[in-house]
Amino acid sequence: MLMPKRVKWRKQMRGRMRGKALRGAEVSFGEFGLQALEPGWVTARQIEAARRAIVREMKRRGKVWIRIFPSKPYTQKAAETRMGSGKGNVEYWVAVVKPGRVMFEVGGLPAEIAIEALKLAQYKFSIKTKIVARHDLAGEQA
Amino acid sequence: MVEMEKIVLKAEKRNVVGKQVRALRRAGKLPAVIYGHRVDPMAITLEAHESNLTLSRAASTALITINVAGKEYPCLVREKQRNYIKGGLIHVDFQAVSLTEKISAMVAVELDGESPAVKNFSAILVHNLTEVEVEALPTDLPESFVVDVGKLAELGDQILVKDLVTSDKVEILTDLDEVIVVATAPKVSEEAEEAEAEEGPEVIERGKKEEEEKE
Repeated sequence: MLMPKRVKWRKQMRGRMRGKALRGAEVSFGEFGLQALEPGWVTARQIEAARRAIVREMKRRGKVWIRIFPSKPYTQKAAETRMGSGKGNVEYWVAVVKPGRVMFEVGGLPAEIAIEALKLAQYKFSIKTKIVARHDLAGEQA
Repeated sequence: MVEMEKIVLKAEKRNVVGKQVRALRRAGKLPAVIYGHRVDPMAITLEAHESNLTLSRAASTALITINVAGKEYPCLVREKQRNYIKGGLIHVDFQAVSLTEKISAMVAVELDGESPAVKNFSAILVHNLTEVEVEALPTDLPESFVVDVGKLAELGDQILVKDLVTSDKVEILTDLDEVIVVATAPKVSEEAEEAEAEEGPEVIERGKKEEEEKE
């Protein structure tokens, strides 16, 4: 699963997720993409599950781009622990995603298969998403 | 090469500028601007729904005729601003062009057909160049270039810009030796990498607690 190789600090504050994605909001590499419609934390596990679903459907054709990276540690206190005594342990890693962010892109395969692959990936996320096409395609699709 | 048909959009002059155009959008209008060769910049409004449908179907080099109060301006779409979440247009820049002068524009390159390299060797087609810059009269600009990938028979086969079929009226400005599409070998499965240590990342700065423990 994706996670940083080295970090400056082990634990982070939660932060806020206000506004829309200012960058990475367009399909830039492939022909179709999966765009987030609401803010949320997307876990490394979700990203990996979506990637597997896409690659499996593509049957070794085409190419996949993952455009988010889980660089934020998520901490959790152990069960049945009293409050206090510091912050919990790092359990997993999340990517902070804002509305508009293109999370996955696929290219180099027929449109029907690309859309089907991304549909399967949509089920893996806890946030609402939609499938988008690159806008410079003559006669935009999706 | 695909030839184009005439597209006409009706527009009205616009006096409302700045943040007040939001009211126009709410009323189903699309703010736009026309500028260009020997044309003073003019703010206009279009019908939002009709324009969205027309402009999303039109290619980037499509010659669009804007009819402002009976006067027609042949234009190219220079920029489309979108609401990137809902997908609709929020503003369009039209560049008025002279039909007797050559202009340069970016033309989309589309892939067509099935490549034997994909069929036989499970190759991956890398579409390197999705647009090519050309120079031509506005009426001669092609809608798109369609590239037949059926020619890519072996791994490593490629189609270059110079392989594009163009008419005499169109001059290609992009470097002729640039690769449009190449058939590359599929990447070997990455599953082996996953066995790597799942312990966690290396921490550069130490927290208070750790320092104390060290002492």
